[in-house]
Amino acid sequence: MTALADQKNEPRKAGKNALLIFWMGLIFVFVAGFLIFFYIPPAADIGAAQPIAFSHRVHAGIKNIQCQFCHSYVGRSSFPGIPPVEKCLYCHKYVIANHPEIQKEHMYFNTKTPTPWKKVFYLPEHVFFNHQRHIKKDIACQECHGPVETMDRLKGKKFKMGFCITCHKARGANLDCWLACHN
Amino acid sequence: MKRRDFLKLAGMGSISFAASACTSETDKMLYSLVEAPGDMVTGSPAWYASTCRECPAGCGILVKNREGRAIKVEGNPLHPVNRGKLCIRGQAVVQGVYNPDRIRTPLVKKNGRWRPVSFSRARTILTEKAFQAAQGGTDRVRMLTELVGDSQMSLLTRCLKQLHSRGPVVFEPLAYETLRTANREVFGIDGLPAYRMERADCLVSLGADFLETWLSPVEYAWRFKAMHAVRPEGKGIFFHISPYQSLTGANADRWIACDPGREAAVVMGLIKAALEQGRGAGLPKALIQTLRDASGGYTPKATARMAGIDSADFEGLAIRLLKAKAPLILGTGVDTGGGAFPADLAANLLNLVLDPALTLFDFDHRHRMEQAARRSDVLDFLTSLRADAAKLLLIHNADPVYALAADSKVRETLTNDRLFVASFSNFMDDTTALADLILPVSHPLESWDEYSGKNGIISTVQPAMGPLTPAPQVGDLMMDIAFDDQRPAPDYKSWVMARLHLRGIVREKSGWLKALQTGGMFSAVAPPNEHPHPPMHVDGLLKPVSIAAAKDPARPVFAAVPSIRFFDGRGGNRPWLCEIPDPLTKVAWQAPVLGHPETFKAVGAGHGEIVEISTRSGQIRAIAYITHQVKPGLLVMSMGQGHHDFGRYAKNAGINPLILMPPEPDKDTGAPVFFATAAGFTGTGDPMPLAHTDGSRIQHGRKIALTVELGALRKKERMHEKDPARPTADETARHETSLTMDGFPLTLPLPEGYDPKRDFYPPHAHDHYRWAMVVDLDKCIGCAACAAACYAENNIGIVGKDRIIEGREMAWLRIERYHDPDHPEKVIFFPMMCQQCDNAPCEPVCPVYAPHHSREGLNNQIYNRCIGTRFCSQNCPYKVRRFNWFEWKWPAPLQNQLNPDVTVRSKGVMEKCSFCVQRIKVAHGRAKDEKREIKDGEVVPACVQTCPTGALTFGNLMDVNSRVRMLTGNRRAYQAMGYLNTKPAVIYLKKVILKG
Repeated sequence: MTALADQKNEPRKAGKNALLIFWMGLIFVFVAGFLIFFYIPPAADIGAAQPIAFSHRVHAGIKNIQCQFCHSYVGRSSFPGIPPVEKCLYCHKYVIANHPEIQKEHMYFNTKTPTPWKKVFYLPEHVFFNHQRHIKKDIACQECHGPVETMDRLKGKKFKMGFCITCHKARGANLDCWLACHN
Repeated sequence: MKRRDFLKLAGMGSISFAASACTSETDKMLYSLVEAPGDMVTGSPAWYASTCRECPAGCGILVKNREGRAIKVEGNPLHPVNRGKLCIRGQAVVQGVYNPDRIRTPLVKKNGRWRPVSFSRARTILTEKAFQAAQGGTDRVRMLTELVGDSQMSLLTRCLKQLHSRGPVVFEPLAYETLRTANREVFGIDGLPAYRMERADCLVSLGADFLETWLSPVEYAWRFKAMHAVRPEGKGIFFHISPYQSLTGANADRWIACDPGREAAVVMGLIKAALEQGRGAGLPKALIQTLRDASGGYTPKATARMAGIDSADFEGLAIRLLKAKAPLILGTGVDTGGGAFPADLAANLLNLVLDPALTLFDFDHRHRMEQAARRSDVLDFLTSLRADAAKLLLIHNADPVYALAADSKVRETLTNDRLFVASFSNFMDDTTALADLILPVSHPLESWDEYSGKNGIISTVQPAMGPLTPAPQVGDLMMDIAFDDQRPAPDYKSWVMARLHLRGIVREKSGWLKALQTGGMFSAVAPPNEHPHPPMHVDGLLKPVSIAAAKDPARPVFAAVPSIRFFDGRGGNRPWLCEIPDPLTKVAWQAPVLGHPETFKAVGAGHGEIVEISTRSGQIRAIAYITHQVKPGLLVMSMGQGHHDFGRYAKNAGINPLILMPPEPDKDTGAPVFFATAAGFTGTGDPMPLAHTDGSRIQHGRKIALTVELGALRKKERMHEKDPARPTADETARHETSLTMDGFPLTLPLPEGYDPKRDFYPPHAHDHYRWAMVVDLDKCIGCAACAAACYAENNIGIVGKDRIIEGREMAWLRIERYHDPDHPEKVIFFPMMCQQCDNAPCEPVCPVYAPHHSREGLNNQIYNRCIGTRFCSQNCPYKVRRFNWFEWKWPAPLQNQLNPDVTVRSKGVMEKCSFCVQRIKVAHGRAKDEKREIKDGEVVPACVQTCPTGALTFGNLMDVNSRVRMLTGNRRAYQAMGYLNTKPAVIYLKKVILKG
């Protein structure tokens, strides 16, 4: 208590405050810079580069292939599944078969190597999202995944709980913690 | 510091903390398949029917495969042996295939050190050795194997014949030689018939631990409970006569503690009593006369004196047995006192006297265990390896060095330079450690095979997952070794199919596919045409029961008994089996030595103190565990631990009691001897903490696990029948003294259970569903299969011995064991899991609402909301909440077993039983697809699924016709500590006991 009282009686030192302002400013600049680079990195607009330059715009947009043709489990399982490279070759054995990117597919197929796609849509590990239930309610893929048919490389998204809850509330869907998402 | 400064700094600190918490994008990948297998849908399980190979019983299993990984094993409901149920060891199959200490590549011993080699190199070495050995003459290549199926056995024999050698010797440490010999002498069949136990009304066991390891424990668990169920006409009675109380003994209505090795005296007394009543008509006169002569001296008094039991107990047993319409006497388990063979002989004769037609014996479906070699033959075989010119010994999943720990000659044989020893084991067990070459073979979950635990059925084994290693199936390997060309089959799978075709069992491919889908063919095989024929006389066999010298407390008998968790030791490296405590001692990870207070008092040793026991074979130091469940003068330790290596979970855990056993087998039967008289027995006074999970052995009058006497129950029922409207005496009492511990009414966790006089919070609304479980304590045998299923289903962490000593085990479902304070030999088992209370004490104390009441009545624990205050655990009267004090480890590849539908909880989070909400969600999905409500019995939590006796029932309380709702109307229904007004959704049915 005495120390506090002593300080109170001291005259204000303008220099000390200025130093503090300087440090705070510096930290602010660093933090702001970090946040800008973290959330708006230069390449954020076009999404992550994938091992094969696959374009959702061409397949889902121009060619108008149904999402479920490739993501075939989406209506009967929690996970939509990503197509085995075998499925790509159903068409690409004949369509632009000699394109260098299609040659990569042949390489994966011939060497029996799983294709290491980069994940673009994230859910935390303690959330159990069931695709089947949403598809059966006729919710379009785009409602959560965005207009994938207009994107070459998917931009991706980290889903947050508010995103789910907003829709669940609006539609009167299950809001129970375990029975809906967490267990 | 000024307040302003503090706030500024605090603000800066929180900004920098928030910034540092933003980690960069996790580099998560999503791998696509090259080709999609037809039976795999990501996110949905595929189930494969197969056969459990964790013990010789051969239960049918369904293996759940998710994205290529076998993650859970459940019983196959179509299989006649286990009828959809599984034991604790069966649940742990997946921890064998994913064991982190599995040997993944062949190893060659060079100058005493292991050097890894490729599979092809190891195969070449072995082929060369076999070829060289076979060139030297006959019987140069020998094989010791565990009990294998008929197809496997025939192939091994065929391959060894090609190498000019005799067929393999089948080694099983528990081969029931005394039972077999007694069956040969009395019935003329050297085998192990099955028992139609469910048809009996009076069962007597002479120590057979049929609920734990004996012959086929899951099968006999359901058969026993069928016989022991409460029926309108009464309830079967079960007597267990043995010097120590095994789990089976603890489930008996009467445990008659006889002196070690004196079981035969009791049976002889019963034979005398039966003959005096004129039973045995139809048996040969000469046999009756022999029996009359032999049992002449066994008057009730003499019998009681000889057996060391109370004569009132004996008379009670005799009266009840002779009154029974369908009596059945089972033989012994392991020999704990030298009297097993006479006891088994006498038991068979008593069965003949009581029921000359032997209607409760099933000679058509004999247990495959009878094909194991007698211990004496195994020892002869090992001796012959020293003397004969054998050059190569192949060992397939047998561990004779562990099982014959006291026999130093086994070790010598295997380390002999002349003999090249190759082990096909996946683990560095005691025998494998002495081999010259280890060539691991594929695990049963990765293999094609056929194994039938009983005659008359075919049970198939198929791969339930891709192989984790390039290890070959043992059949393929043996064909590679023995044949250059002219192999009997292109591969082992074709051999199995060809054999079944040859035997006329499977005629076409569709039949084979159907068998694989069903898990086998259960009525396609003609039984062996062997029928028992009673002997004309048994002269010379029935020797009088020998009465050993007076008991010397300083030299007690030490017995090793099989363990429900580790069987003969093969389960010792499965972390679940180590972590789930023994049902009776409630001690995990350790192997204490059990003894009566008097026995330990003689050497001044207290509970939890180290004692030293020595016999002429060896010496051990073990922790004393004082219990009334062992006769004075006997020390008991369960086998299965104390391996030298066998992986990280088995190493340095427990003690192998077999090192104290005499190496010589019994002369009459060739059976191993599982007891020895202690040469030295001293207390050291050194305390050692016991890793036990029970807080107390008694209930302290808290009314947790309740019993009801059969007569009282009947009276209540009769009164209710006469006048359903009139409240029973109990109910009248309730109205008078309600809301006390004794008079508190059963209150269902439903809105109608709301009472403004005693409830602070308003009732919970439920639409359609309120999940609940009914636990029938009369059916619970305490086997802990449910606990293992829960560990498997819910990704529960393994904490290890030290954490258990600190009280930090994570089991969501535990079996509590309570002794009657006045009669410590009377035991009740009590499964305890989250009670999913309607008025849950955990919910209002959480500052962040992590325990949340769902509209279907479940108490949801939201892991990502939990901040770890542990208030909920403190306020839970059932102590079912578990806190993650650490980040638990699943050493690779054990993490592959984890259930992808359940969150793996991290440090600092509270967790508890969820009633397997992931399964409820699956049922919801299915019901929605079919536009209906969930049917009764559609949701089956893991514990309910596996319970061998069907003690657990799960369902919806809102549905007045559901089984759980109907059971809540049972006269035995009550809620554990319901007087706290928690309104639990777990309803218990009182255990029914018989008077006296």
